[in-house]
Amino acid sequence: MPKYVLLLHDAPDSYSSLSPEQLQQVIQKYVAWGETLRKTGVLQGGQKLADEPGRIMRQKNGQMRVTDGPYSETKEVLGGYYIVSAGSYERAIDLARDCPHFDYGGAIEVRELDTMSQ
Amino acid sequence: MTTDPKGLVDHLFRERSGQMVAWLTRVFGAAYLDLVEEVVQDALLKALQQWPYSGVPSNPAGWLCQVARNGALDVLRRDSAFRSRAPAIAAELTRSTPGTMNESADPVFEDDELKMIFLCCHPALPMDTRVALSLKTVSGFSVQEIGRAFLTSDATIAQRLVRAKRRLRELDVPFDLPSAEDLSPRLDAVLEVIYLLFNEGYASRGGDELVRADLCFEALRLARLVARSARTESPAAHALAALIALQAARRRARLDDRGEIVLLEEQDRSRWDAGLTALGFAHLERSAAGSVMTAYHVQAAIAAAHTSASSPADTPWRDILRLYDDLAVLNPSPLVRLNRIVAVWKVHGSEAALTDLRPLEAEPALQSYYLLPALKGRLLASIGDQGAARHAFEMALALPCSEPEQRFLEKQLKELGARS
Repeated sequence: MPKYVLLLHDAPDSYSSLSPEQLQQVIQKYVAWGETLRKTGVLQGGQKLADEPGRIMRQKNGQMRVTDGPYSETKEVLGGYYIVSAGSYERAIDLARDCPHFDYGGAIEVRELDTMSQ
Repeated sequence: MTTDPKGLVDHLFRERSGQMVAWLTRVFGAAYLDLVEEVVQDALLKALQQWPYSGVPSNPAGWLCQVARNGALDVLRRDSAFRSRAPAIAAELTRSTPGTMNESADPVFEDDELKMIFLCCHPALPMDTRVALSLKTVSGFSVQEIGRAFLTSDATIAQRLVRAKRRLRELDVPFDLPSAEDLSPRLDAVLEVIYLLFNEGYASRGGDELVRADLCFEALRLARLVARSARTESPAAHALAALIALQAARRRARLDDRGEIVLLEEQDRSRWDAGLTALGFAHLERSAAGSVMTAYHVQAAIAAAHTSASSPADTPWRDILRLYDDLAVLNPSPLVRLNRIVAVWKVHGSEAALTDLRPLEAEPALQSYYLLPALKGRLLASIGDQGAARHAFEMALALPCSEPEQRFLEKQLKELGARS
């Protein structure tokens, strides 16, 4: 079964004015969504990325440069990822469709893992 | 991913945010309320960023407190304003972090929360500001939710909060309970704000239904907090808690499954919340200590009289009318006099009720209150004056009221048509 990674791009500003009650409701939606996927065995794992900045490494003229970044120019930050097994891109998209991530302006990037290379 | 199968307790974030704000305000001082709110909001946002991936921790409240404490320590490191006080604040943060705290109430937190309520209800603040500030800091409502509850713009609410915090800073108000000689008037002010919160949630004509339900239960939580604390326990506090619990018990039954209004005498009494009713009677019993009789006592007694009746026919209307007479003395407001008319109707009949209603029609405070013509319409219909009843219901419909209230009035009009 092919595997897909769901990359969750956050729009952090969209949450800042939510009340505690609303924040709790958002969390509960995520947990319920994850629970459903886990029960059906499609959710393989997931992890939050630590907050920015990370480090960007580039080599130029034989010299390694390490800089803080990427500071997102846009309002979106890569917040974390889930890995799901799904028969096709369509199926993977269907699984992500109900994710509450979309309720507050977030985006999900869906990428198939290239298992041929394993 | 590990997830606590129990998930989160209802309103955990709301209750804990208020408690954490109170705790940190004690540590930092009332002048730093903005900063404290930011630290707490950041802790809640961290949970939002993390828990979808890691699952809900086994002690979510403890997790939030730890994160808020770390956030506060970061502030101390970052902000030179605290340079001299930083070691003392850091020590206090570490000493008093309720890390092991679970779902049960934490007495240290409760003490801080109580102080926070008194701070928000400080006499230097105007009444509407006390209400808004209490909802924001003690109850964790957002500016938008407060605006929705009170049909006020977000900008107005935000402005009230900014002014309130500035005022508290200027006055350098200590974060503590009032002294013994100040306690009584200050406690009255706190109870009044809690009563207003409840009334807005229970009886208001507009606004968001979910927010209004939350207002009722938040008012109940605060009233119970004040009533059970050794420093603030008083007959009036118990009476207020009783009044809120007894009325909140009937809340669910006031609308049917389709969202239509159900009058008290037609409510399915099995839908009244038995737990809240029992709680109400427990507080009512304790409110009887001493000789003080407040308007809360009388209103609680009226609610109890309705609740005790096993059927509408058993309602002790004579007792209720007597209580309304008492209430009109303690609180001679037009609204109390209007509510009293229903008891007059049940005891002395429609004609007597219409006679008592007449002087109220000139009351400025009731000019745009749809319940007055609505009640008049029902009284007129009951004596067979269909034409005048129709006119009264049409007047009521022209006044501001919620959609269920409009449909209720339209139904009354239709029934008139069917009868005539």
